[in-house]
Amino acid sequence: MRHRCARAEIRTLAAVAAVALAALLAPPQVHGAAQPIGDPATGLADSAALRATVFGTPPQELAPQPAKVPLSEIDIAMPWRRPVPAVFWFDRRLRVWLSAQRHAAPLAIVIAGTGGDGDTSKLKILRGALFGAGYHVLTMPSPTFPGFIVSTSSTGVAGDLEQDSRDLYAAMQQIVAHLPPRVKITDIDVLGYSLGGANAAVVKSIDAAEGRLKIHRAVMINPPVSLFSSMARLDRLFALSIGSGGAGVERFYQRLYAQLANVYRASDEDRIDENFLYSAAAVVFKTDAEFAAAIAFTFRLDLVNIFFAGDLYAGTGVVTDPNHPPQVGQSLEETGRILRGKSYSDYFSTVFAPYYLKQRPHATARSLIADGRLDIIATTLREDGDYYAQTNSDDLILDQRELDWLKATLGPRIAVYDHGGHLGNLGDRRQIADLLDMLAGRWHAAAR
Amino acid sequence: MRAALLSGAAALALALAGLGGCATSDISIRSLPAETPAADNAAAAYAAEFAATAGGAAPNAVAAAPSPPVTAADAPPMTTYDPWERLNRFDYRFNARFDEAVFLPVANAYRRLPSPMRAGVHNFFGNLTEIDSVINYTLQGRLGRGVRSLGRLVINSTLGIGGLIDVATKLKLAVAPTGFSATLGTWGLHPGPYLVIPFFGPSTLRDGIGLAADFGTSYGINIANLYRGNKTWGLGALNAVDQRANVSFRYYSSGSPFEYEVIRFLYVRKRLLEDAGLHRTRVPKPPRPGEAAGQ
Repeated sequence: MRHRCARAEIRTLAAVAAVALAALLAPPQVHGAAQPIGDPATGLADSAALRATVFGTPPQELAPQPAKVPLSEIDIAMPWRRPVPAVFWFDRRLRVWLSAQRHAAPLAIVIAGTGGDGDTSKLKILRGALFGAGYHVLTMPSPTFPGFIVSTSSTGVAGDLEQDSRDLYAAMQQIVAHLPPRVKITDIDVLGYSLGGANAAVVKSIDAAEGRLKIHRAVMINPPVSLFSSMARLDRLFALSIGSGGAGVERFYQRLYAQLANVYRASDEDRIDENFLYSAAAVVFKTDAEFAAAIAFTFRLDLVNIFFAGDLYAGTGVVTDPNHPPQVGQSLEETGRILRGKSYSDYFSTVFAPYYLKQRPHATARSLIADGRLDIIATTLREDGDYYAQTNSDDLILDQRELDWLKATLGPRIAVYDHGGHLGNLGDRRQIADLLDMLAGRWHAAAR
Repeated sequence: MRAALLSGAAALALALAGLGGCATSDISIRSLPAETPAADNAAAAYAAEFAATAGGAAPNAVAAAPSPPVTAADAPPMTTYDPWERLNRFDYRFNARFDEAVFLPVANAYRRLPSPMRAGVHNFFGNLTEIDSVINYTLQGRLGRGVRSLGRLVINSTLGIGGLIDVATKLKLAVAPTGFSATLGTWGLHPGPYLVIPFFGPSTLRDGIGLAADFGTSYGINIANLYRGNKTWGLGALNAVDQRANVSFRYYSSGSPFEYEVIRFLYVRKRLLEDAGLHRTRVPKPPRPGEAAGQ
């Protein structure tokens, strides 16, 4: 009768994961507390930006959310799906989430950021706000989410802006075609945060040519301008705050473990649960370097799956043997250990570039980098009034030149907030109000 | 008895049907319980405000940590001792399939019941575990804790109408369950190898033994004759569904083939940290080179 132990442990595990993956954890009690003066800034981002990025919007500053949001989970198999590698047996179908209005309404399709599934905490915030504003809301994983790579990607090698967006676009058509008839759609808009923002804009530009969904507006929230340069910035942040290679990760883990152990021993707690971890995080994460490490580490965790899947599909043989692919039930600990030391630039040079250079005879490493820039739709972004963006002047995935490019390209259709780091203000009143105005086509920079 | 057997057979058939194959249809749309963001945010904001005004329970007293502090060199290795890995992985996959096909859909249906009703069920089963906590705190020699659990049991069983209402927490007697695994840990027994138990999930050998002992204790005491006869099956199922409905974890929502490794890593680190907490004044033994965590 005592099912408590094991099951409750799992819940706690989820919480432990939250701290280990620290960037998404938002301990409300630490927010607004006096910020200790820590190490000198990493040089890539200021203190406030790092903290906002880790903590996100505090609950009391969130835009009003509806009392109830209905939710359905849709598992859908793509007609073009390829044989699934044995170790990915659980990822056969794409999983997306739908919140449908009872009446005819516009549909907002929201795309997650790097590595995110279709139900991240940031998507939940956007879902609530959009549903409350009268939209049907469809939330989709990032094309870099392993479930997407396996079930939907036509290449298995994630990270090509246009190819990923084409796959997303094809998936959207399948999903929209299979929605139950009671979901009456009057109009379709796409939006996304981080990498998902760039994907959303490219999806709309593809639709403009093909016209299968007749997407009306696109909004990018904290998008990268160049995938390659954002990757390089995250690699540098990682190298600065954690150290390069597997040894850096090991030291980071040992430090985190020791700190947690000391906080735990000093406390009166009997078990490590969510509450303990949330309050412990306030003690453990203090300096800029620690916040930077948490952010860099979280991004790096996403890479493990992208790298592994890409290597498996491309047959590049970096961490998997193309002739003897890993089987169900086989230990992946050693593979994981090797992957811990791999950076985004390793992924580019040993998996991504070799694969795409083979696929595209005229491509060069330089052209692949250029293809990963929003530049590929620069004219459209400049001339079509239905593209919008929101970002922060201290977003740590952008440098000044890239921010200037965004402002120059989108002109009156971009809102740039002073603070928030990367997505640290997602869901706050101003961001949501502007987002809704943008989607409705009534947002004007001059009026702000 | 026959009814129990029949319903058991029906559940088994359903489980096998669900486990038997992978998804056959091209699309499935499953309605989930509605989200309640407004209430969730209000609760989070309240918690934040409470923490700010009351100073919170934040363990700021790091300075008062028992000497000497744990250093990075004391951290267990990143590899984990898992001699039964093949079986464990099989169990993990079984649990994932069972959860997806049976456990989670039932728990989601249960979550549609009115929340006061679910809270009553949760409190009722929570109250039953206090008996085991009292016994184990006594065995651990932590009498203050034992008295607190006993107080909770008495208050909730009487004022709380048989445990349906958690009056004790409102009286600032916070819930702090313990079990036989923690008792064994207090006596110095190592967690042992990682173990994935069918239907239950991640565990270690010691935790598995503790789980069995806790059930045996409850069974032996047989409070209010709840643990005998056909109703035992119904109550056990309800308890399981209640526990599942309160856990947000979902198998393979990470989409990652490394999920087994990640969960194992986190579970064993959490167990080792908690064990270190059981002996708050003792210095942890630094790992020997080449040794896996939990060995």
